[in-house]
Amino acid sequence: MALNAQYEVIGKGFVQQYYAMFDDPAQRPNLINMYNTESSFMTFEGLQIQGAIKIMEKLTSLTFQKINRIITAIDSQPMFDGGVLINVLGRLQADEDPPHAFSQIFVLKPLGNSFFCQHDIFRLGIHDSA
Amino acid sequence: MEYDYLIKFLALGNSGVGKTSFLYQYTDGTFESRFISTVGIDFKEKRVIYQTANGRTQRVHLQLWDTAGQERFRSLTTAFYRDSMGFLLIFDLTNELSFLEVRNWLEQLRTHAYCEDPDIILCGNKSDLEDKRVVSEHKARELAEKHGLVYLETSAATGQNVARAVEILLDRVMRRMETSVDKSLLPHQRVLRCHERDTSPPSTSCYC
Repeated sequence: MALNAQYEVIGKGFVQQYYAMFDDPAQRPNLINMYNTESSFMTFEGLQIQGAIKIMEKLTSLTFQKINRIITAIDSQPMFDGGVLINVLGRLQADEDPPHAFSQIFVLKPLGNSFFCQHDIFRLGIHDSA
Repeated sequence: MEYDYLIKFLALGNSGVGKTSFLYQYTDGTFESRFISTVGIDFKEKRVIYQTANGRTQRVHLQLWDTAGQERFRSLTTAFYRDSMGFLLIFDLTNELSFLEVRNWLEQLRTHAYCEDPDIILCGNKSDLEDKRVVSEHKARELAEKHGLVYLETSAATGQNVARAVEILLDRVMRRMETSVDKSLLPHQRVLRCHERDTSPPSTSCYC
């Protein structure tokens, strides 16, 4: 499959849609439609998860309600299978907690006329390994 | 300003139990908060005077460590517990889950703290919300006794028992230090006198 020339638009559009759903507790369960039952991987703060159902179990177990987010940068690249690689750098605030930096990587895989999220890696920008 | 002891306490417990409000209340909202976003630590400082059993006066520089909410995303790392000399384990009297998870916090704490039986004060917070209470004092005391903890019912809103909780913890930690034969078993910061430290600012003595 050829490179998708629309990768920038697709990347930005996906990220906006994804976080609009994620950050609203009423809409968060709908994120399940972004992932594939079998072939979606997530690494959430080091925790490896496979498949839409397990991914949603993780996302709906998070204890905050709303999230405020400021996106600093969205960088995208076209992939040779027609997919899109996206890196997001930003800051988030869960409920009334102090804000945290975060980074998130998505790989969108083409499926018919659309995409699903094949890979999703999330980390807070906290350097506490010392 | 000089001090005799630098003592670090850690506030633990589920999200939303009032850890930050509790620490804020402790100094009537007057103390400086240092939020270090890159390491996910929020710490507050206060100077107190401690009278030892034999009447000596010690100047204590208290550092009260708080998370920045990262426990909502994953468990806290070992480094967070490091060098802490005492623990305020806080749950919400109006939230059953926060009480049930006290056990998990204890387990974490005993795994990562400097020893297996560190000084811990269990605080049932939000005691002012009596009509919303779901955890009875009896149940909380039972749990505290089982694990050998001091139990207090506190309110970060009204200030009830907040200072007392910190004072009891400080007293236990100071007594432990005085009776400890081998001080090298304690986290190294605890027994450092200030004149033994160099004069670098407090921010460099934290989590780096």
